Amino acid sequence: MSTPVVGFAGMTHLGLISASAVAGRGFEVVCFDADPALIDRLNRRDWPVLEPGLDQLIHGNGTRQRFTAQRNDLKSCDVVYVAPDVPTDDQGTSDFTGLTALIRDVAGAMKPDAVMVVLSQVPPGYTRALDVGSPERRYYQVETLVFGQAVERATKPERYIVGCADPAAPLDARFRAVLDAFKCPILPMRYESAELAKISINCCLVASVTVSNTLAELCEEIGADWSEIAPALKLDRRIGAYAYLAPGLGIAGGNLERDLATVRRLADAHGTEAGLIVAWQRNSRYRRDWPLRQLQARVLAGSAEPLIGVLGVTYKENTRSIKNSPAVALIRELASCRLRVFDPAVQAAAEWHPRMTPVEEALSACDGADALVIMTPWPQFRALEPRAIAGRLRGRVVVDPFSVLDRAAAAAAGLEHVVLGAPSPAFSAKTLHP
Amino acid sequence: MTLSHANNVPQKPARVVVLGAGGFIGRRLVRALTDAGIESVALGSRDIDLADGAAAARLAEQLRRNDSVVFLAALTPDKGRDSGTLMRNLAMCRAVCEATQKVELAHLVCASSDAVYSFDTALISEETPSVPVDLYGAMHRTRELMLAAEAKAPLAIFRIPALYGAGDTHNSYGPNRFLRQALKDGSIALFGNGEEMRDHVCVDDAADLMLRVVLQRSTGLLNLATGTSTSFHAVAELIAAGLDRPILIKPSARQNPVTHRHFDVTNALRAFPSMRFRPLKDGLTAMIADTRAMAGG
Repeated sequence: MSTPVVGFAGMTHLGLISASAVAGRGFEVVCFDADPALIDRLNRRDWPVLEPGLDQLIHGNGTRQRFTAQRNDLKSCDVVYVAPDVPTDDQGTSDFTGLTALIRDVAGAMKPDAVMVVLSQVPPGYTRALDVGSPERRYYQVETLVFGQAVERATKPERYIVGCADPAAPLDARFRAVLDAFKCPILPMRYESAELAKISINCCLVASVTVSNTLAELCEEIGADWSEIAPALKLDRRIGAYAYLAPGLGIAGGNLERDLATVRRLADAHGTEAGLIVAWQRNSRYRRDWPLRQLQARVLAGSAEPLIGVLGVTYKENTRSIKNSPAVALIRELASCRLRVFDPAVQAAAEWHPRMTPVEEALSACDGADALVIMTPWPQFRALEPRAIAGRLRGRVVVDPFSVLDRAAAAAAGLEHVVLGAPSPAFSAKTLHP
Repeated sequence: MTLSHANNVPQKPARVVVLGAGGFIGRRLVRALTDAGIESVALGSRDIDLADGAAAARLAEQLRRNDSVVFLAALTPDKGRDSGTLMRNLAMCRAVCEATQKVELAHLVCASSDAVYSFDTALISEETPSVPVDLYGAMHRTRELMLAAEAKAPLAIFRIPALYGAGDTHNSYGPNRFLRQALKDGSIALFGNGEEMRDHVCVDDAADLMLRVVLQRSTGLLNLATGTSTSFHAVAELIAAGLDRPILIKPSARQNPVTHRHFDVTNALRAFPSMRFRPLKDGLTAMIADTRAMAGG
């Protein structure tokens, strides 16, 4: 068998990263998107997403990876992935209109015996219900894209989960050759299992985060410190070294919210018990407002029109995504304040707040502010000197949920440093230095 | 459902009619309206018995088109916890609903209670399911549903925990009773050791928040709470410390399990970013001074 040629349809985040990873394993890859403007942008090496390592990866692929707006170019492919990002609304409900249309479009352009792989995340039942091509040559492959770590995860996958019409039948040899190139375990299973496996993974992640959030909040109140507890949990084999044990500001980014909404919808439709999911969603909403509550208690309650510095707008570091971003939510809610806002990748939008000044560098956000809030743990914020921050703030409060600043250095600089899962500064001073 | 404002910038309403104006919070609200230069009509149970069968028509006669109405009137548990009290409270609400169908109002603001929540959840927000466990809680929840279904006016509902302040007409367990006991007997009697945490709201702050809702013509649901809970024991200690003679705080054998209640007030912060609740210590100090002044020193 000659080396298969691989196609990817849909050149947004998932498709671009996945295609680049396959090309990186030596395959010739045709990257198709029906939007000529996007293809033109990609051919100019102007990547629409921010991902560490992406430019280097595509550069290394050279002519093996080409971008085209001509769907007929997919005729040369033995395996075609359909991989557009699926949009979700504010309730986490996916809109599959575009995906389904693209699948039909691609099916019409592929050569008859080619393999189609749906890579976009779809709900249980979607892949089997498709009425294009032969089920024996139609697969669903679970994607585990992580914004900001997408290249790392796509080039070194932990395993492949593959949904098949019949898991007892061997995988198509051409598709198998692509997967084997990544030298990781391959788990074939029926379509519905694979579709639910992806959701199951995300539910486990949310469970870990919610446990951390619940106990971290308790830490803040009783003088315990979650940063001391989490490493102990990670050494427990039943929990694991890579468990999501960092407390956060609720679930953001859109994907986890979508999966929780899907489980609730399925549970409601089938009459299964899903109270746990409701509790996770409630905890997520509650934790999102942690910075607002901290600011209210420490600054807003005692000041008529405070000035607040905000560092970070994106929902996490190393991305331009602001979907469900706690930072944007906070900015909108600080209606009684004036704001100075900085993010290294995204310019704050004027419509978020009427009295907001976007600034050009991080320390400038501190100038004259009654408090600083570090909403996104961008790596460059870790280089900020607490003494420099203290020198430019008018107040002392730094709300730093992810402990971007060194806690000891912040305390030494005289800052009231408020961190998720850490005993409140007043509590620490009282208990450690009575 | 939380609050949203029809008036982003506060605007004086044409006129405010307060039902239950003779009550603990009603008196404060009428005074706050007067201080704000807002025309108000104060109606108490002596002016109109809302539980009476003819109350809807009589109330409608008192109302003008574009009035704002604040509905505070209710028979509280100290007036009775039986089904008769329940039915009278519902009759009052029915009269208000029917009156709104006769006269077009600009705004209807209603006082409900945190009794609509059970004690299964200690941290309460507006999203917490309403699961009343007694007739008083069921009454308030039913009134909320009646108003939502039948009142023809933009509707705001407050769920209010126990209020404190001078001139309380009730004598329920909490700051007001503690002060009366301390002044009369030199002691404060606690259930158990007063471990239960509650959100104690000063009645003046409650009136202030209601005034804000009136001015911004807000609609939706809001828990009227400070976000800080304090044990009854700590309240007793604060009251004792505020008096100029020794007060004995007396624990008792516990009859019921300890329950706590805290409020997540994030929605209130969003709705009214500039709202400031006075610290409990300051509020209790003012209550002691005002109570003494009302008693003639």
